[in-house]
Amino acid sequence: MLERLRSPWSDRRAELSLGAVSLLIGFAVVAMVVFVTIQAWPTFSHNGLSWLGSGGKLEEQISAMQETSVHPPASAYHLRAWPLIWGTILTAGVAVVLGLAIAVLSSIFIVELAPTRLRRIAIPVIRLLASVPSVVYGLIGILVLVPFVGNHVISPAEKTSVQDTVLLTGKSLGVAIVILTVMITPIMIALICEALASVPNAWREGAIALGVNPVRAILAVTVRAARPAIVAAAVLATARALGEAIMISMVDGGRDFAPRLSDGITFLFEPLRTLASAIVDYHDGIGAPALKSTLYAFALLMLLSAFALSVGGYLIKLPMRKYQVRG
Amino acid sequence: MSPEEMLLDPLRLAAEAEPERIQPQRRIHAAEQPGQGPVVPPVRTIVLDRAPLPAPPPSERASVRTQLAGAGPERLRLEEVSIDYGPKQAVKSVSLSIHQGEVLALIGPSGCGKTTLLRTLNRLTELTPSASRAGRIMLDGEDIHELPDTTLRGRVAMVFQQPNPFPMSIFDNVAFALREQSRKRPRRRELEPQVIEALRRAGLYEEVRDNLDGPALRLSGGQQQRLCIARAIAPRPEVLLMDEPCSALDPISTKTIEKLIGELRRDLAVVVVTHNLAQAHRIADKVAFMYLGDLIEYGSTAQVFDEPRATRTRDYVGGAFG
Repeated sequence: MLERLRSPWSDRRAELSLGAVSLLIGFAVVAMVVFVTIQAWPTFSHNGLSWLGSGGKLEEQISAMQETSVHPPASAYHLRAWPLIWGTILTAGVAVVLGLAIAVLSSIFIVELAPTRLRRIAIPVIRLLASVPSVVYGLIGILVLVPFVGNHVISPAEKTSVQDTVLLTGKSLGVAIVILTVMITPIMIALICEALASVPNAWREGAIALGVNPVRAILAVTVRAARPAIVAAAVLATARALGEAIMISMVDGGRDFAPRLSDGITFLFEPLRTLASAIVDYHDGIGAPALKSTLYAFALLMLLSAFALSVGGYLIKLPMRKYQVRG
Repeated sequence: MSPEEMLLDPLRLAAEAEPERIQPQRRIHAAEQPGQGPVVPPVRTIVLDRAPLPAPPPSERASVRTQLAGAGPERLRLEEVSIDYGPKQAVKSVSLSIHQGEVLALIGPSGCGKTTLLRTLNRLTELTPSASRAGRIMLDGEDIHELPDTTLRGRVAMVFQQPNPFPMSIFDNVAFALREQSRKRPRRRELEPQVIEALRRAGLYEEVRDNLDGPALRLSGGQQQRLCIARAIAPRPEVLLMDEPCSALDPISTKTIEKLIGELRRDLAVVVVTHNLAQAHRIADKVAFMYLGDLIEYGSTAQVFDEPRATRTRDYVGGAFG
């Protein structure tokens, strides 16, 4: 058997075996999407698209589901998921925007401006940070940041201003965003650094030789050439931020509450819950079919947004690639 | 063919310079026919599709160089310029002057400091942290180290060995320096005449006129290099530096660019670094021969090639070392 594997493979045989492996992966993904869709279907068929909207108290709707029997009535599926969707958009969106700005600027610094010795240390350290398990960030968040924010940052006045609706403990949107940003920035820096470093030096030098000052040359030529990689990094980071469950569920306060922009700065200290952390928080209640289907619907929503993200990234990159060399 | 083109035809030049190298192989090829004389081991045969042209009459041998009126005003003057990379001295006390309307060729073996010297003329060597410089370089009577480097590089443009168009459209490439050097972003319509003019002067406009928004990186190597020349001359510099501009190109593109250099020097001072002695002979008005960082010889092309003063120069242009 080993002897057969060691002997040179014919093209046909290699093609078939490699093709089979890739087909297997493709099949697994398709099967998963189909399965999740089927499981989530009752939720959507009972709620329609208003499922995505707001209305009522989400916590009450979910506990109502847990109380229904194995054969739930149609009314048991009633849910308005907007607080979770809003929480997800807020945490992931703000973290990605912040992280992207930090990542682009620090990558430019590391690749173009930093002394060589610093660059040699910085790049491996950032790679290391990119691979830290997210639960470690969550632990630091709940043990360090949450008490600090709860005791020193939120003023008593802010606590009383919203005490009718929600309790401010420190577990909050702000902490979730900060930790999520810290978590996704290193991977973006690592990817963008690599892209910037692979921009041919001849372009940089050519721009400088045309009488452009070096910083302008970096922005106008190097960063411009690396734009597709910057988009790719942002897409990857957004996918990571959308799907982050454990860490967020540790620091987000676990309230099905949509932080209100109308509360001003206090908005940042309000608790929330995201789609991913809702799955973590409620997964032990899936004995109730209505809740089970609802959790699958959360999953389907995240799957679809991940697909939309990839397609969106591809479409954004298309015009940027127009002038790049293609093989 | 015009006499000028005939003179520049590389195949014909080779045949002219070394007829015996091609002819005997034709004979060997003939001897391989069965039953004709001794059997000769198979060798590489060159089959010419036509016989080499006869040598042109002497009147046509005039080079492109002599067809232009003499040198214009002095643009750049180098006074005792030395450049060190750490402990290594790359250029040793070189003094030269460069005039408008002239092509100066810097020749010499690899590592002799000619590229370093060229890159010093628009202060690109400063980008290398270990480089240091002594002596003065004057551009129209002003020390270039007293000019802001961006101003200087606008006046002393550079074309590199490898064509390096940016990953943008052809139009944006040529407009790049114009846009970056102007204070407020000019509109495309305002830039168009200058861009077209630059492409025309670089002899590229006719080839790309319908495709100004096409990607520059899809052009052929020779077109890319002419695009780089257009990009460099668009802001109307006074001096054009070229670092072996043809060494990455095929013979036909080389010929086009050599012809272009001959035309560009009408209103520019051109400095060309080249490894190719025949090219220096074809395009240059003045030649500077450098060896191990020293300027060994500087003079008119005819003088350096035909009556070199230094033994080193005679050996180098005679092909004794390279």
